[in-house]
Amino acid sequence: MGKFLDKILERFKIYRIPGYYEKYDHKWTMVIDLDRCNGCEACVVACNAENNVPVVGKEECGNKRTLNWIRIERYVEGEYPNVKVKFIPIMCQHCGKAPCETACPVYATYHNQDGLNVQVYNRCVGTFTCATYCPYDVRRFNWFTYKRDEPLNQQLNPDVTVREMGVMEKCTFCIQRIRAAKDRAKDENRSIRDGEVQPACVQSCPTGAMTFGDMNDPDSKVFKLAKSQRKYKLLEELNADPSVIYLKRVMKDGSSATHEE
Amino acid sequence: MKKVILYIVVGVATFAIGYNVNAVYFSDRSPIQPIAFSHKIHAGDNNIPCMYCHIYADKSTVAGVPNVRKCIGCHKIIKQDAPEIQKLTDYWNRKEPIPWIKVHNLPDYVYFPHKRHVKAGVHCQTCHGDVAKMDVLTRVSSLKMGWCLDCHTNGAVAIIGREVKNGKDCWTCHK
Amino acid sequence: MLNRRDFLKLVGVGGAGAAAGFALGEKSKNPSAELIPYLVPPEDIIPGVANWYTSVCAQCSAGCGIIVRVMEGRAKKIEGNPLHPINKGKLCARGQASLQALYNPDRIKNPLKRKGERGKGEFQEITWEQGIAMLSENLSSLRNNKRETEKLYLLTSSIRGHLNSFLENFIKAYGSSNYLQYELFQHENLLLANNIAFGQDTLPYYDIENTKFLLSLGADFLNTWVSPVNYSQGYGHMRQGRPGIRGKVVQIEPRLSLTGANADEWVPIKPGTEGLLALGMAYAILEQGYYKGRDAQEWKNILNKYHPKDVAVLTEVDERRIRALAKEFAVNKPSLAIGGENVASYENGASQLIAVNILNHLAGNIGKNGGVISNPKGASLSNRRGAIKKITAFAKDASNGKIKTLILYNANPVFTTPKTMKIEDAINNIPFIVSLSGSMDESTAMADLILPTHTPLEDWGDDFAEPSVGYSIATVMQPAVSPVFNTRNAGDIFIDVAEKIGGAIKKEVPWNSFDAFLKDSWKKIYDKNKGIVIQETTFDEFWDNLLAKGWWRLPDISSLKPGHISTKGINVYLQKEPSKFDGDDKNYPFYLCLYPHSGYLDGRGANLPWLQEMPDPMTSVVWGVWVEMNPKTAQGMGIKNGDMVSVESPYGNINIPAYLYPGIRPDTVSIPIGQGHRLYGRYAADRGVNPIEILPFKVDPRSGAIPLNSTRVKITARRDAPGNMVKMEGSTREFGRKIVETVTPDEFSKMGMEG
Repeated sequence: MGKFLDKILERFKIYRIPGYYEKYDHKWTMVIDLDRCNGCEACVVACNAENNVPVVGKEECGNKRTLNWIRIERYVEGEYPNVKVKFIPIMCQHCGKAPCETACPVYATYHNQDGLNVQVYNRCVGTFTCATYCPYDVRRFNWFTYKRDEPLNQQLNPDVTVREMGVMEKCTFCIQRIRAAKDRAKDENRSIRDGEVQPACVQSCPTGAMTFGDMNDPDSKVFKLAKSQRKYKLLEELNADPSVIYLKRVMKDGSSATHEE
Repeated sequence: MKKVILYIVVGVATFAIGYNVNAVYFSDRSPIQPIAFSHKIHAGDNNIPCMYCHIYADKSTVAGVPNVRKCIGCHKIIKQDAPEIQKLTDYWNRKEPIPWIKVHNLPDYVYFPHKRHVKAGVHCQTCHGDVAKMDVLTRVSSLKMGWCLDCHTNGAVAIIGREVKNGKDCWTCHK
Repeated sequence: MLNRRDFLKLVGVGGAGAAAGFALGEKSKNPSAELIPYLVPPEDIIPGVANWYTSVCAQCSAGCGIIVRVMEGRAKKIEGNPLHPINKGKLCARGQASLQALYNPDRIKNPLKRKGERGKGEFQEITWEQGIAMLSENLSSLRNNKRETEKLYLLTSSIRGHLNSFLENFIKAYGSSNYLQYELFQHENLLLANNIAFGQDTLPYYDIENTKFLLSLGADFLNTWVSPVNYSQGYGHMRQGRPGIRGKVVQIEPRLSLTGANADEWVPIKPGTEGLLALGMAYAILEQGYYKGRDAQEWKNILNKYHPKDVAVLTEVDERRIRALAKEFAVNKPSLAIGGENVASYENGASQLIAVNILNHLAGNIGKNGGVISNPKGASLSNRRGAIKKITAFAKDASNGKIKTLILYNANPVFTTPKTMKIEDAINNIPFIVSLSGSMDESTAMADLILPTHTPLEDWGDDFAEPSVGYSIATVMQPAVSPVFNTRNAGDIFIDVAEKIGGAIKKEVPWNSFDAFLKDSWKKIYDKNKGIVIQETTFDEFWDNLLAKGWWRLPDISSLKPGHISTKGINVYLQKEPSKFDGDDKNYPFYLCLYPHSGYLDGRGANLPWLQEMPDPMTSVVWGVWVEMNPKTAQGMGIKNGDMVSVESPYGNINIPAYLYPGIRPDTVSIPIGQGHRLYGRYAADRGVNPIEILPFKVDPRSGAIPLNSTRVKITARRDAPGNMVKMEGSTREFGRKIVETVTPDEFSKMGMEG
C-alpha cells in the first residue's frame, strides 16, 4: 500500500519540478489585451460552436448552471454620471501550479507536457472537488445530459466529445486544434508555425484582443506581447502561475472601491 | 455461516459463467453483416491490398469503407450470379448504401487517427489481425485502453522502431 | 443435507449471479454502430477531414465574408474569411450563430397551404408542384386583367446583389413596379443626411482604424451598428495597433451602450439634442479659428444661433465641456465623428446626422485617412433607395385594397412596426399572401401559401457590401451544405412560376435555375473586365478562383470625390430644436430610447438558442428582456432590480422587469429590441415583450424612417406580477479585487513604445 502511494506521489512530483515544461516542445500561452477587448461576446458563441457546449435553457441559467467555457466578466463602477465599465474575458487559466490538479481523487485533471491543464472526461466521476478548488470559477459541471433538438445536433463538432451528466468540463485551449496543427506539421515535416493554432475564441475576436501561441518560441507573438509593461496575471497573489496573461486596460480612475459606498 | 459462504461461492461462480457465456456465445467480435463479405477471398485469395478499398487510412482519422460504386465496379463482371453478390447488386439498384455493422467501434471520447498509425509504419495486421485468413471478419484486439497502452508505452519500439511521443498523455488519445 | 428450501435459494442466487454476469458482459460491450459507405463518393470529400467553403454572412447587412467548416456534408463552424477586406477573418456572435439558423428545428420544412382561418397558424403540407401551381395560377389570373399586374407587391428584407436584380427583372417583366425592401434598420436617415450634405447617396467608410480622436454620437459601432466587425477591428487597431499612439473615444448618448462602456469619456446628453451639441461644437471650432476654409465666415453666419452657452442649456452638457470637446476634436488630427442609430432614431434624425457631417467637414476629416472616406457607387446592384420610403405607402395601399397579391421574402413588418401603424390589419386586407420565408415569423403566419426558401448556407447568391471599405467588393455565396429540409432558392421559385405563366415573362427569365443566372451574370462581369483587372484566361478559372477566395474587388464604377458641404441651402436642414417626444412630461416623465439587442438585432436572432443564452454584454440578462432604469430613479419609486414594472406610453403599455443600470440618465429608460415574438419557433415565442408595439406611428416624410426614440413613458411598479428576469452576474462591483487592472493614459504614454 505504501509503495502504491509513493508511486502516485512521485507522479505528482515530477510536474512540480521547476523548468519541467520548458524542456518540452510547447508551452501554450494566451495573451489578452484588455485595452482592445470590448466585451462583445463573440468569443463566447464561437466557443459554444466549437466545443459542443450545450444550451441549458432559462431555468438552468437561473440556477447558475450554464456551461459556457469562457465568460465576459463586466464590472460597473461608480454612480451616474461617472460610470466606468470594465470587461474581462475569463476562461480556464491553465495554471502551471493548478489547485484543481492536486484535488482530483481520480486523477482526471492533470497537466500535460504542453503546459495545458486538461480534463479527461471518461475518467471524471464528478466529485466537484476541482471546481471548488478553482479560484477562477471556470470549471463547469454537467448536471444533466442536455439533448439538442433535431437537427441542431448535426452541428456537433466530431473533434470534441459530447459530455454527459456527471462530468466536469472546462476550456481546453481548443486542444483539438492544437492536435490538428501538430498533425499537419508532422505531415509536412516541420514544426508548428506561430499563429497556426488559434482557439475558437482567439480566431473570432473582432478587435484582435486575444493572441495565442507558444511561450517556448522566442519569436512568437505571445512571447513578445508578454514582455509588455502592462502585463499581469489574474489573482497573481494566489501563485497558481496561470498561462493566460492579461494586458492592463488603459483608463482613467480604473480602480474600484474595496467596499460599497 | 457456512450457508452464506456457499451462497457467495455459487453466486460468484454463476456470475463468472454468465459473463463468459456472454463473451463467447454472444460476442460482438464478429457481427453478422448484411452481406457475407469475405476478407479471405478479397485480401487473401486475390491479394488485394488493404488500401485499395480502405482508401482513407493514410489520409484521415477513419480508414473508410469502400463506396458501393467501387464494389459494383468489379462485381459488374465478377461472380454476378452468386447470391451474396446479388444482394450487392440489389443495394446498388435501389441506390442504397450497405449498412455494414462496425466491428472495430471506439467510443466517442477516443481520438484514434488511422493516418498517424499508418504513417508511423504500423501494419494493418498489428491491430486488425490476419484479416486475409478471415472468412467472417473478427475483432482480434480488445480495443480496451490497456491494449492501446501496450504499444504506447513500450511496445512500440518493436513495431515501429521508436517510442511513441507523449504516448502516455491522456489527451494524445482522448478528446 | 440440502433441503428443498436451501436448494431453491441456491438456484435463485445462482440464477441472479449468472444474469448479473451476463448483463455486465453486455454492458461492457461497445454500443454497436453502423458503418454507412457512400453510394458514390462526392468529389474532394475525405470522411473525417473538414472542407471549408467561402460564403457571405447574412445575419445583418454588413456583408462579412465567411468560411464554413463542413464535415461529411454537415456545417460545423463558421469563421470569418481571413482574406475578406470587411471582417478580415473575424466574426461576431450573430454570425457564428447562423449555424443554428441552418439547423433550426423550427424551420418550415415543406411548402404549406393555409388550412384554418388566416393568422391562426393552421397549415397543411403540400408538394412543391402544388405550391408553384397555386402561385402561378394566382399571378396568371391577376395578369389576365392587364391593369391588375400593378397589384402584385413584393416585400423583401434588404437584399443586395444579383438576387435583387433578378427580382427586379421579374417584377418588371410581370408588369408591376411594386418591389419594396423593408427592415427595421436600413439607415434611411444616414443615407438622406449624406445625400443632403455631400450629394452622395451612400454610406461612407469610417476609417476608425487610423483615427486619433473618435467622437461617437449614439453609434453603438462595436455591437450592432452598420458593420460592427469591421469597426471592432478598426477599434482594436486604433487603441493598441499603433505603437506610441492610442486613439481616444468619446461617446455621446443618453444610455451607455457597449461602445460607450469602452469609451474614455461618456457624455450623458439629453435625448434628442445630439445634433445641437454637434452644431454647438461646430460653433466653437469656428470661433477658435480651427476651420481654415474660405467659407468660414458663411459658416459662422449660419451657425450663429448655436452658441455653446445656449446649446449647453438644451443638451444639459456643460459649456466648458462642449468647448473642450470641440478643441480636442479640431486639434487631434485625424479625428472622426460618427452619428449612429440612436441619433438616427429621432424624428429629426436626418437633421442631427447632417450636423455630424458638418462637424466632420469643419474639422477637415472628409476624405482623409482616419476620417470619413466615401465609398464608390460600385454597389449599384443594391438599388433599394426608393423602396425604403414605401413601407408606409404599402400599408396604405394594402388597406385601400390596392394590393391583390403580396409576396413576402424574409421581411417581418408585423413585428417591426408600431401597433399604431396597424400593418397587420392592412395586410389582412390582401386577398392572397405568399411567404417565401424559411421561419414561421409573425408576418409569414398571415400567409395563405408558404414556399420556404433556403438559408444562406444552403444557397447560391452574392452580396455587394454597403458600406464597403473605400472600394467596391462583391462576395459570393455558395452552398456549403445540401438543403436540410424540402426548401428551394427564391430565384428558382420565380423561374418555375415564370415557366408556368409563360409568354413574355418566361422570355425575361430564360434561365433554368438561379445559379445559372448568377453564373451568367458573373460571366458578363468577367467579359467586361477581362484583361483589365482579371488575369484569368477563362471564365471557369475565374469562377473557381472567385469561389475559393470568396470575394472580388470590383472596378469602381464611379469614384466620388471627397464631399464638400456647401453652405448654400444647408440652413434649412439644420436642427432647430430638440426632437419631439409624444406624451407630456407630467404624465409621462421618462424618455423611451430603444436599441437593437446585441444578439437579436431587430428580432431576427431571437430564434437561435446560442444568442438567447448569450448574456447581454451590459446587463448579463439571458433569455429575456428588461427595461433599464437609473438606480436613483428606481429607488425613489421603490423599484428593486428585477421587479416587474409597467411601461406605459400614450399608445399602449407593456409589463417588463426592471434592470437598475447606473449608465442611464435619470430621465430616460431604455429597452432592447428583439424579444416579444408571438411566434418564430420554440426558442423565441412568448419570451418577453416587444417595445416597438407601444411606439407612436410617425414617419420622416423625406427618408421614410420610422423613429424609435419618439415617445415618453410612465413607469409604475407592478407588485402583483413576479419578475422573471434571469441575469448571469453576481455583483457588478469589483470590490478592489484588482481583477481588471488598469493604467492611466498618462502612465501608458510614459511606457512608450513598449507599452
